[in-house]
Amino acid sequence: MPTFNLKLPPPFEDAVKSMEREIMRFLMRSTGDRDDAMDLFQETWLRAYRAYPTLQSEDGLRPWVFRIASNLCRNRARDRMRRGRVISHESADCESVERRAPQHINGGPEGALHLKRSIARLPGKQGQALMMRKFAGLEYGEIGTALNCSADSARACVYQALKKLRIEE
Amino acid sequence: MKDSPMIDDRVLDAMIMRTRPRIERAMKVLRRPQARVGVIPSPLGKLLVAESDRGLAAIHFLFISGGERTLELLRKKFDLIENEPSARRIEKEIDRVFEGGIDATARAVDLSLVESDFQRRAYTFLRKVPAGAVITYQGLAATVGNPDAQRAIGTTMATNPIPIFVPCHRVIKSNGTIGNYGGGVDNKIKLLRAEGFEVGRDLRLPTRAVMGHRHTKIFCRPDCSAARRADPDNALIYADSRHARHEGLRACKLCKPE
Repeated sequence: MPTFNLKLPPPFEDAVKSMEREIMRFLMRSTGDRDDAMDLFQETWLRAYRAYPTLQSEDGLRPWVFRIASNLCRNRARDRMRRGRVISHESADCESVERRAPQHINGGPEGALHLKRSIARLPGKQGQALMMRKFAGLEYGEIGTALNCSADSARACVYQALKKLRIEE
Repeated sequence: MKDSPMIDDRVLDAMIMRTRPRIERAMKVLRRPQARVGVIPSPLGKLLVAESDRGLAAIHFLFISGGERTLELLRKKFDLIENEPSARRIEKEIDRVFEGGIDATARAVDLSLVESDFQRRAYTFLRKVPAGAVITYQGLAATVGNPDAQRAIGTTMATNPIPIFVPCHRVIKSNGTIGNYGGGVDNKIKLLRAEGFEVGRDLRLPTRAVMGHRHTKIFCRPDCSAARRADPDNALIYADSRHARHEGLRACKLCKPE
């Protein structure tokens, strides 16, 4: 007789509640812009809801949502780049977003501002891995799932990112 | 380590609050209906059951593999929540079906898991076949509008998402044997017997079974000359005369069934 146990992932609303802050924080850090972060936040949860039936178990939930969020960030960055190429003076605008952003977050101490800019300059995957590890507290395995790479690769990314930050200091 | 010194939780919460109305508006379009699921014991064995606001949406015999697959299909159509009271209620209903207290077809069903129109029509008509009567695969195919589709009907019955309540156990072979069942032939016999259909050991219909005609509203012995002349596609087979009379049919004047 086949064994069957009824194991369902938590209701979607509960999943949102348990993770909305860390996702918003992640998006805020990745985009550096409040409106962008809010746009992507909405998009992340709508996408997550649409794909929720494909999520197998509760354990996979966190890296899965992070992966959706990081994919969306990457798409947004790519679209920006394309648009920037067509209208050349918009590239200056992108930089100003980066410069402006920290002020309307919280206006923290100078060191934190510097750190944020350094993270923004890291290559995409390294920066995201670092943020997931240090700010969201994900395991390396989970980061690997979110960024579509192995746990070792995720660990290497975080290491490289930290190394670069140290050199900049 | 989890909390960064730079972005205040209050700022994040304010941003989340601002996105909430937008998300809710978009979700109104996307949202799947809710369904309650549970695992229950029954006279047939363990069952996975699911019920939406429109009615029963799925029953899966858990002694047969594929429970995970059913759950997957359900999750695509519904937001599932585990719900004990709903499962208990269905358990009681199934018990009453076995005691003969209620006819399973009186219960509302939600055919969301059914994808094809042909299958939907077959299930909808099948639910009009009363307890104590059976129909042949061929007869059901003819009713659905395609007399040669008895095999498609076979597949349709085998993939019935709501057995017991969409009474696929009331479909038998044209040669008078009861045919196969997704939940095992033993269970088909159990269900038919619970409805007053005394299936013999040879898996044949009871000797007292009569042929009832849907259009003429007359029932005959199976060997009656009038029954043989009549269109078999429009016949239901009743367990006995009493069941046929109960459905408003009168006895044939030629063969005079009791």
